[in-house]
Parts: sequence; C-alpha cells; structure tokens
Amino acid sequence: MSVTIRSEGSMFSAYRFIPRSSLYVLAGLAVLGAVIAFTVKDKFYLHVLIMMLFYASISSAWNIVGGFAGQLSLGHAAFFGIGAYTSTLLFINLGVSPWIGMVIGGALATLVAGAIGYPSFRLRGPFFTLVTIAFAEVLRILTLYAHDFTKGSIGISVPFRPAVGNFIFRQVSAYVYVALAFLAITVLVSLWIENSRLGYYLAAIREDEDAAQALGIDAARYKLVAVLISGFLTALGGTFYAQYIFYIEPFQTFSLDFSVLLAMMAIIGGLGTVWGPVAGAFLVTPLQELLQAQLGGELQGLHLVVYGTVLIVVVILLPQGIIPSIAAWGKRTFGQREARPAASPKGDA
Amino acid sequence: MILQAENVTKFFGGLAALKGVSFGIEEGEILGLIGPNGAGKTTLFNVLSGFFRPDQGRVVFADETVSHLKAPQRCRIGLVRTFQVVKPFGNLTVLQNVMVGSFLRTADPGLARERALEAMELVGLSGRRDTAAKSLTISDRKRLEVARALATRPRLLLLDEVMAGLNPTELVQMLDLLKRIRGQGVTLLVIEHIMAAIMTISERLLVLHHGEKIAEGAPRDVAGDKRVVEAYLGEEYLLA
Repeated sequence: MSVTIRSEGSMFSAYRFIPRSSLYVLAGLAVLGAVIAFTVKDKFYLHVLIMMLFYASISSAWNIVGGFAGQLSLGHAAFFGIGAYTSTLLFINLGVSPWIGMVIGGALATLVAGAIGYPSFRLRGPFFTLVTIAFAEVLRILTLYAHDFTKGSIGISVPFRPAVGNFIFRQVSAYVYVALAFLAITVLVSLWIENSRLGYYLAAIREDEDAAQALGIDAARYKLVAVLISGFLTALGGTFYAQYIFYIEPFQTFSLDFSVLLAMMAIIGGLGTVWGPVAGAFLVTPLQELLQAQLGGELQGLHLVVYGTVLIVVVILLPQGIIPSIAAWGKRTFGQREARPAASPKGDA
Repeated sequence: MILQAENVTKFFGGLAALKGVSFGIEEGEILGLIGPNGAGKTTLFNVLSGFFRPDQGRVVFADETVSHLKAPQRCRIGLVRTFQVVKPFGNLTVLQNVMVGSFLRTADPGLARERALEAMELVGLSGRRDTAAKSLTISDRKRLEVARALATRPRLLLLDEVMAGLNPTELVQMLDLLKRIRGQGVTLLVIEHIMAAIMTISERLLVLHHGEKIAEGAPRDVAGDKRVVEAYLGEEYLLA
C-alpha cells in the first residue's frame, strides 16, 4: 500500500462532472434573458429582470459559504459594500474604470473575508455568524465616520457618463446582459465547486465536522476557501449595483436586512444547491418589486404583510426549499437517479 | 512497530481517563482492544487519532512522533479512525460519502469515484451507491464508516466497535471483511465487546481497565488472566 501524500490527477477535471442539464438550463436562461432584454421596452419590467438576475447572482455567491459549507453569514453586506464603495471611490476620485475597480474591490473583500474567516473558523458554533454581522456594522460606521472620504450618510452619486469603459450604459437592456454574465459566472463557479473536491469537502464539513476531520479534511482551511470565493463574488455584485443604481449610501449598502435577504433567498430556493439561490431570487425579487409597485401606495406596509405571508406559506409547504422539493418530486414521479442532496436548514441527519 | 504509545496519560479534570498506557502494534497485525465500559478505550482512540492531545506521553507512528499532529494530518500520513457512534454524511449518497474519503489522495473526481467504488465493492455496499446515507440500516452504516476510512488508503485503521449491533450473519461478514482489509496490508486496531469475535480475529489483545493497561498478549492467555476475568469477563466466561 503506497502512502503517497502528493495528490494524483487534476482538480480541474471536475468540469467534466458538471451535469449537462445544468449547463442547458444556464444557456436557456441566458437566451431567455437576452430575448427579453431585446424585445421588452418597459423600463419597470427590465428593472425587475435585472434585480432578479442581480439577486440570483449574489445569493449564489452567498450560498458558497452559507449553503455549501453550511456556515451562516449574516454580514455579506460587508463584502457587497466594499465592492460598491471601492469601485465608486476609485472611479470618482481617480477616474479608474469601474471594471478595474470591481476587481480591486473583489480583492479587498477577499482580504476582509480572510480576516473574518481565519480566526472564527477555528471555533465551532455561532462565532462566524456573529463576526460577519459585526464586520458589516463596523464597516458601516467607518463609512459614516470617514465622511470626508466617503461623503458619510449623504452617500455618493455616480456621475452619468455613459461609456462601456465607464460601466455606464444609456440602454437599460445593456445592464441585463451584464447581469446575465454575472449570473453565469457565479453559477459556473458554483457548479464547478459542487463537482470538485472542494464541494465534496464542504458538504462533508457541513454534515459532520468530526467525521470530516477524521477523513483528513482540514475543516478550517476549506471553510476559509469558501468564504474567500464567496466574498470576492459578492463584491463584484456591489460594483454592479453602484453602476446600475448610480447611488450608494452606508445605511442601505451595509444593512443587515440585505444580508438576511441573500440568506433567505438561498434558504427558500434550497440551501446548498446550485440552483436554489437562483430559484429563490427569481421567486422573491419579483414578488417584492411587484408588491411594492402595486400595493406600496395603498395601505402603509400592506405589501410587506403580503410578502411575509407568501414567504411563510412557501417555507411551510417546501421546508427543504424549492429545488430539493422539485428534485424529490421528480424522483418520485419518474424514478430517476437521486439528485444531489441538499443541506437541510436545520442541519439534521 | 507501526505505532507506539508511550506512557500515554489523559486527564478530564481530576479524573485520569488514561494512566501511563504503553503498547505497540506491529505492521500487518490485528490488535484487539477490550475492557469494560469507561475503561478508556475510546479515549485512547481519540488520543491516537489526534482528536485529543495526551497530557503526558507520546504517540509514535511509523517512526515519527505524531503527538502534536491534528486528526486531519494524522489521516494524511495513514493513521485513520472510525467512530463508535457512526457519523455518516447523512444527506450525501453512499458513493459521495466514500468519495470524500478517496479525495484525500487525489483531487480528480473521476479517480476519486473509481477508488470509492472499489472500497464500496470491498465492504459490500455497491448496491447502495445512490442511497442517501441517512436511510441506511445500522449494519450498512458501519460498512460505510469502514469504506470511507479505507478510501483514504490508511496504513493503520482504528475501528471503534464496528461489530456492535450486528446480527450473527452480519457479524460473520464483518469479520471476513476485516480479514480482507488486513490482507491488503492494512494494520488494524479493533475495539470490540463481542468476545467471540475479537478472540477469533485478533493476534493479540490489549486490556484496559480504569484507564490502565492490565493485560496484553495472545487472546488465549489474556482470556485466562485473573485480573482480566475479574475486571471484565466475569467468572462465567471462564467456565463456559
């Protein structure tokens, strides 16, 4: 029996194991999104579509650490805000293209993710969650405090100077294409992780950390890798948001509500599955936007009541999330091979 | 000697769970570890596999002191354990569970899959490939625990009561499996309460009582040892 410690084979060959069906779904979404962007002229519906794609992307990014690794983050607004503020400040003050600023913001968010993950993943329990919340709060307060630099609570407006290099487009539809590309990146990264050693290890850590350690998995290290990737991708979303909305301010950008929303979408759609966050975002975002548009002017807060009721009903009917429920139904009906099992939100065995 | 424990001592507060335990395992042998409940068997496993750090003494594996290494690092050099209370990755399929083990020696999912299937074949889990681990029977869970550990390609495998809760047929299969694993060149340290099983399979027995080693040697000699009979086996066993 050989005791080679060196790994054989290539980790990159994981792409061969990505299910074809997932790639077809992704291609189908891209085509559908592009067709809608091309034909629909109503700015509101395009806006809803963009927000759907946007939330699907960052909820997918959240899912890498929150779902795959099972480490609940309630402070992803920190990474989001770092992305938004970095690219915007670089653009306004130094004229750096937001495309480049986006990558720099991503790198900064990765550093912060490391600072959060490195100490807290050594411990078990709620420490990681608490540290993520604290970091987002601290960043919000720092942004307010450094108002000479960040304009504090007044927020920053992104000047409307349309150019591809400025990441600013006259056509709303252009943002659909960018959002589609962003979603494609996060979903492809998720698919690759899911089918590679990293994905198996994260699932093992999520299911039983002791058993994972006994099989040679350095749990702290792999959880750290997950949060680094997740933080980077989330920061990219921050830049996109700033370039699309043209305005960022600390209360919204670093808000706990936003972090919770990302987690909620992934949980509703199916925690730890590739398509769960996408399904969750596609359900929740239009609901939120349409209810706000339709009922927002009526009774104060009525749209939130309806919104909350719908979410409660979904969670009661589909406690495992949308995607695992569909997969289980498909298995019962067509007797197919078992779909990849999802993490249970309760973490039971 | 593939593994040596030297004067291993472990305290939980004021209680000494292990008191100066020393022993060695030869490469390729099956060593049985017995003793009454609370004797410190599982604590010894935890110390050997890196889940606990000994308060005194050291653990030497393949001529290297490993006392400072954590569990994942010990697994990487071939010192692997299973758990008495099996810990399947419940929401993963059997194949995925075993692949987590085989990924230790390769990052290639294709290769990991192949090796996982081999390990599943060996323990007799091939028919359960796509079953979620949480819906396995206890006997299959025990096999899964062994298959996962085997897939990491261990040199020394620490098995914690893999035969508990099995019916007589499953017990015979498990004994046969352990012999086949040894046949592949893996050394085994086995905790077991079922005396008939441990007597037939072990070359040597090690007996713990109140955290101390009270006997070590050939199964026949150990079973006749007065202290062992008093502490663990009971008078009836001698008469039987």
